[in-house]
Amino acid sequence: MKRFKTVLFHTIMLFLAFLWLYPYLWLFVSSFKPSAEIFTKVVPSRFTLDHYRFIFTMAEKMKRPFLRAFMNSLFITTTVTFSVLLTSTIVAYALAKLRFRGRGAVFNFVLFQMLFPGFMFIIPLFVLIRNMGLYNTYAAMIVPFLMSSWGLFMLTQSYRSIPQDYIEAAKIDGASTFWIIFRVMVPLSKNTISIVSLFTFIGVWDNFLWPLMVVKDYSKMPLSVLLATFNHAYAAYVGPLLAGSVIQTIPMVLIFLVFRKQFLQGIALSLK
Amino acid sequence: MKLRRREAGLGWGILALYLCYTAVFWGYPFVWMLILALSRWRFVGKPSFVGLQNILRIFVDSMFWRVFWNTMNFLLYFVPMVFVAALLFALALNKMKYFKTFVTLSFLVSYVSSGVAYSIVFQRIFSEIGPLNRFLYNTFGFTIPWFSDPQLALFSIALMVTWKFIGYYGLILYSGLQAIPKTIFEAAQLDGASRWTTFWRITFPLMNPAVVTVLILSVNLSFGIFTEPYMITGGGPMNRTLTFLLYMYTTAFQRINPSYATALAIVTALINFSLVLIVRKVVEREVSFE
Repeated sequence: MKRFKTVLFHTIMLFLAFLWLYPYLWLFVSSFKPSAEIFTKVVPSRFTLDHYRFIFTMAEKMKRPFLRAFMNSLFITTTVTFSVLLTSTIVAYALAKLRFRGRGAVFNFVLFQMLFPGFMFIIPLFVLIRNMGLYNTYAAMIVPFLMSSWGLFMLTQSYRSIPQDYIEAAKIDGASTFWIIFRVMVPLSKNTISIVSLFTFIGVWDNFLWPLMVVKDYSKMPLSVLLATFNHAYAAYVGPLLAGSVIQTIPMVLIFLVFRKQFLQGIALSLK
Repeated sequence: MKLRRREAGLGWGILALYLCYTAVFWGYPFVWMLILALSRWRFVGKPSFVGLQNILRIFVDSMFWRVFWNTMNFLLYFVPMVFVAALLFALALNKMKYFKTFVTLSFLVSYVSSGVAYSIVFQRIFSEIGPLNRFLYNTFGFTIPWFSDPQLALFSIALMVTWKFIGYYGLILYSGLQAIPKTIFEAAQLDGASRWTTFWRITFPLMNPAVVTVLILSVNLSFGIFTEPYMITGGGPMNRTLTFLLYMYTTAFQRINPSYATALAIVTALINFSLVLIVRKVVEREVSFE
């Protein structure tokens, strides 16, 4: 009886897991189905790459350069992620390990900043970007996100748990500040750094409202916005739309699978 | 003494980097936010000061109240649904012996789905000819107008968002569950407490920090919904899926009224903030494992 219960319970959980994966499976399989069979057949008569071919060749003529948009997204996302990591790892060192007057006040200010929801600032930030002459440029999508108070907070917390002795020892060996940051602090904060990169990457890649506001040329759009405009203008092209959605989804899922261990630890961290 | 001075110099040197950046990309917008909220401005010329007019206008704006009730309605659908489901998921995960990693990842992968892509997918899955309605028609003989019925549309969006967040919230609750020392359960068992009593008297109260986290996250999320209604319903039918962010966006960029939109943003943030305070006040308890 007990055995039966265990089997039943696990079967139900596996079924639910598949139910949760279903939208992904449907998306993935449908993007390879011939157009006529997307809504009519569960198992298509044949698999085809037509929709992907369409996206990379035909879409250019419809003024929807998908390949370019993918590259734009990749460029914007990696630049922002790299910059957030670089600035956070350096500034957090001053906040966590250097002793001087006013440090606590600045850290409190970082916490204060995190209280405000992002949507409060988007319109004034838009005004700033326009005044700086950055409207409709790549910079508009990158510059406002070069530093993150959340990333700074996470790394400061992580640095604080590193014993001061390590730093003193490195100093005695004649290490410079940057050597200490990149050779001592960073390797000892690998987990936090993975979490910050993962969430920053996903947040920027998936950001929609902000690029929708600041970019109007199709050639400069990130994939999320280009896909949305394609959906509005050509909603009947279901196959290519789904192929585009697969391409938009893959990098996020990949980076999630690579960092899944850190991701799980990050969830435990977020409770503290 | 000299060493300390040098350390302070270095510290402020590094912090200057952060403070300058923040002054431009946080301080400047912050000041503009206050200016915009208190004036009338349409992207050109100088803002003309109008005092609290924008803020007062919000309270007689019937569309604002529509949006307000939409959001309350969404909270009513989304928060209980996602919370109960995530709690059940966490408890089930705690009981699982096999395939645990697979199930966890299956539920979590929805959390990393792209907003635009999953809106496109759900719009098709829930469509009149989509697989869900076909299944309903074949087995029960009816279909459901998921996104075209005014009352259902908001519920359908709540369903989508629940799909996305159950895994994430469930894992937060699960790690809250894991943090409870096992000895407490053994003691309860020795005292002859039933499973039901154990859960409501011991497990659930001790999970309080995780419960509060999930409730706050889901409330904040409800105030930040934009991509789903923008992509699928455009705020319709009958404005029933118009959210704060969507209303703000259309006010600023389609009705060209950024100053009113900024006032809306401030009021929205205040409502959001007070709701979070209420949740904390009502739900939050001091927990210790002594």
